[in-house]
Amino acid sequence: MRARLTRRRALLLGSVVAVVAVIVGLLSTGLGRDPSVIASPLIGRAAPNFTLPQLTGGKLTLSKLRGQIVVINFWASWCAQCQDEQAALNQTWQKFQDSGVVVLGVDFEDTAGDARSYVNSAGVSYPVVEDAASRTALVYGLRGVPETFVVNQAGRIVDHVIGPISAGSVANQINSLLQKST
Amino acid sequence: MTARTVRRIRVTLPALLVLIALAAGAGTLAVVAVRGQPPATRAQQVQQIAAGLHCPICKDLSVADSPAPLAQQMRQEIAQKLNAGQSASQIRAGFVAAYGDTVLMSPPRHGLAGAAYFLPAIVLIAGLIAAFTLLRRWLRAPGPDQLESDSSPPVSASERRALAKAVARLREEEPG
Amino acid sequence: MGQLGTYLLVLGLVLAGYGLVASAVGARTDRPALVESARRCAFGVAAVLVAANATMVVALLRNDFAVRYVAENSAIQTPVFYKALALWGADDGSLLLWNLILAGYIAAVALRFRRDRPSMFPYALSVLFTVQVFYLVLVNGPARPFGSLASPPADGRGPAPLLQNHPLMAVHPPFLYLGFIGFTVPFAFGVAALLAGDGIDQWVSIIRRWTLVVWCFLTVGLVLGALWSYSVLGWGGYWAWDPVENVALLPWLTSTAFLHSVMLQERRGMARLWNIALVIGAFALVTFGTFLTRGNVLSSVHSFTQTTVGPVYLIFLGLVLLAGFGLVAWRLPQLRTPASLDSAISREGAFVGNNVLLLAATAIILLGTTFPLVVQAVSNQQVTIGAPYFVSSVTPVFLLILLLAGTAPLLPWRATNRARALRRLRVPAGAAAVVMVATALAGVHKVATIAGFGLAALLFVTSAQEILSGLAIGRRGSRGRALRTFLRGRRRHAGLIVHMGLALLAVGVIASSSLAHATEVNLKAGQSTEFGGQLLRYQGLRTDQQPQRAVLTARVAVLSLAGRQVATLSPRMNLYPASTEPIGSPSINRGVFWDLYASVISLQNDGASATFRFYRNPGVNWLWFGGLVMALGGATAAWPARRRRSGRDQASAAERGRAPADAGAR
Repeated sequence: MRARLTRRRALLLGSVVAVVAVIVGLLSTGLGRDPSVIASPLIGRAAPNFTLPQLTGGKLTLSKLRGQIVVINFWASWCAQCQDEQAALNQTWQKFQDSGVVVLGVDFEDTAGDARSYVNSAGVSYPVVEDAASRTALVYGLRGVPETFVVNQAGRIVDHVIGPISAGSVANQINSLLQKST
Repeated sequence: MTARTVRRIRVTLPALLVLIALAAGAGTLAVVAVRGQPPATRAQQVQQIAAGLHCPICKDLSVADSPAPLAQQMRQEIAQKLNAGQSASQIRAGFVAAYGDTVLMSPPRHGLAGAAYFLPAIVLIAGLIAAFTLLRRWLRAPGPDQLESDSSPPVSASERRALAKAVARLREEEPG
Repeated sequence: MGQLGTYLLVLGLVLAGYGLVASAVGARTDRPALVESARRCAFGVAAVLVAANATMVVALLRNDFAVRYVAENSAIQTPVFYKALALWGADDGSLLLWNLILAGYIAAVALRFRRDRPSMFPYALSVLFTVQVFYLVLVNGPARPFGSLASPPADGRGPAPLLQNHPLMAVHPPFLYLGFIGFTVPFAFGVAALLAGDGIDQWVSIIRRWTLVVWCFLTVGLVLGALWSYSVLGWGGYWAWDPVENVALLPWLTSTAFLHSVMLQERRGMARLWNIALVIGAFALVTFGTFLTRGNVLSSVHSFTQTTVGPVYLIFLGLVLLAGFGLVAWRLPQLRTPASLDSAISREGAFVGNNVLLLAATAIILLGTTFPLVVQAVSNQQVTIGAPYFVSSVTPVFLLILLLAGTAPLLPWRATNRARALRRLRVPAGAAAVVMVATALAGVHKVATIAGFGLAALLFVTSAQEILSGLAIGRRGSRGRALRTFLRGRRRHAGLIVHMGLALLAVGVIASSSLAHATEVNLKAGQSTEFGGQLLRYQGLRTDQQPQRAVLTARVAVLSLAGRQVATLSPRMNLYPASTEPIGSPSINRGVFWDLYASVISLQNDGASATFRFYRNPGVNWLWFGGLVMALGGATAAWPARRRRSGRDQASAAERGRAPADAGAR
């Protein structure tokens, strides 16, 4: 290019570079982020109460568990990722059931028959309730299964996990909650 | 009738017809706008609220459109809440409390997101202003014809009229 | 197989790299022999990419699960047809097709300019090779379609269920790609004109017809995409204002603006800067679209695919924007043209209005699509911008576009002849008024719907009237046949046909988006429901076990209120072993005025009862037909003119004082 670099030209080129830099900069903020992670507005709020029928018969009311840490796990028998996290849930229940922790399964968009056979084959020994019309799922802002909420002794939601949980991070969370209360 | 009256009629009559058509169209729109919508049935109310909510497990569909089971549950929930006497904004607020602002198909009007409501109008108005400025500048600029005529030999008034007539006839027939 | 494919891609990259270097050096140092070798190289790249794509298809057909892509996107039981289509079923494979189409376009350019070469040709060739090198680097590095698996599985995962549900998958992505990638050619020639510094008017005449062809492909691709969505997704609609759909529409709007404003430059030497900016913008929007859809920036909830190509696309987008608009800024003094206008209400003024409206629509859709990203980056607020936002902000612009397209062809170039324009507006305006009154009397309550139908009528009648009057003038002059007269003013007539197609499409869009009905019912086997003046009876469920899936078909009889059966619907649920949730498949009874559309939402007790959604969608077929007419009109305008013109035509062209409309492209 034989044209000379005048001041006007430099100014124009500079502004093109600046605009492109802003566009690329803004777009690059989207790169590091997982677009599927949407912050739940429920964290820090009181866990919405529910009374739901248990798979084994009888009803269970969340507010009656006040004073204990509750790990609410939304799951379904047709969900593959729920099977992936099943061991972590069983482990958590076995480890903490005597220290004031309840693991509570909430069955989502499922039939009672399928749920029962899954519970039997997967060795689930913690309480499981049926959310037949998904009303509880809607109150908890569920986007799919599995999703897990951790409720502290005061009945407030302190954590929300989308996708399978890991036994280690849940145990850490529970331990820190237990320490705070003592 | 003189030739002049005939010519005037030939010019004004189409204008009158177009004007009548415009008036009929605008009048229809005005009447419809004034009469407004008939009161919505319960099903339509559910549909309207659901259309403003984003189906949480879908990529882009509203609760009204989505065939997903969760969306179906949400429609039932909306109907139940309406029956229980809740207003549309109460129902929306309920879903926002559980899901956050992303459950609304249109962003909330507060915060930076509220700017989304002004942007389209700003874009359109800015475009129109740019177009008008440009057209005005072009209209004021000396045309190439004028520039050329400065250097070419003078043309008599009758020649100019004949030329204008010929150009007009060609334009009438030119494609493109 | 995987080895062969990998080698082929490396070979392709080497060849394209040579082409890039040879054409760039040849252009700077003015060595025709180097440019010629680069030109021939284009055919080599194309041949290698044909072989690479064929290799992938063979690997898919032969169930070569040692290739990771085959294992992830095909299975033994997948029907042969869908095995082959898996080539573009997922990201990595579709990049192979993308590369092939790009190489095809470059080869077409190389073939077209085998003898006469404008001075900008070597530059254009090097820009084209640069883009090709970028996409070949992608398939050689971050995305590896021929990557292998250490331990091949016994069977593959199969294609995504939605992608093996409908034969339209065979044509919709290739057309869309032909449209997207085609914008590389106008971009390359635009940048080349800026680099070469001369031939800025020559550039437009070369590129107008290329852009027209690309525009036709993209039109067909968009319509087929909507048709696929309507026929497969089961929600009764065809356009959800999804980011992927939006970014496909953006270059279409920009190139439509270009196809209009290019006439300003061809006929009046105006808008040079603007036209180059539009072409660069269209290509930048295509690149932005690929970044947005393939870079995993905006994607769906509960999909955990991780890709590494995002940053690569973003860097490329930055380079395209910098190079394109930086060059425009650099050459700005040469691009400024003395423009003048006799009247604002003229064809020139109308084209300016057209560009403002189309670009406003582009900007509004672009802003809405990226706004959630920007809001989160700036204020960490998460929001959704969905259909209601787009519908309410874009509707006024689209109505104005209909109004402009319905009146602008009546305006002459340069001057205003008000009386004549009004005379020719009588019939269209009358038709619009009649349609509006009739729509209101038929009980439609929405202002935008009534206005939309009126404007569509205006547009259709204006276009038809102008074609007919053009033919009549021709007949008066030459006593030739209608076809010959039509062909003489082909560009104008073809443009008017595109406008008629737009009117039909607009009717379809307005009717289906504002007058549709839907209902959701649960029916036991044998039970019926009344919907839209017909009885729909659920007759029961049939289960078919196919090799790759189980198909549950709900049979629904459509009866008149008197009880006479008029049709059957068979919406399905498909169960794929790889997918836990059933994939619904709608059944559509298509009609001229309306479609009856049925989806199964859920089944209870093995089909003893079922929940359905029924839709009555008016005008949908007008949309497909209108899109087809638009593409055919575009193709008519792009079709090469006969090489030898008759003496008479030349004389009449000379009489008009201008070159014949298509001569520039020769």
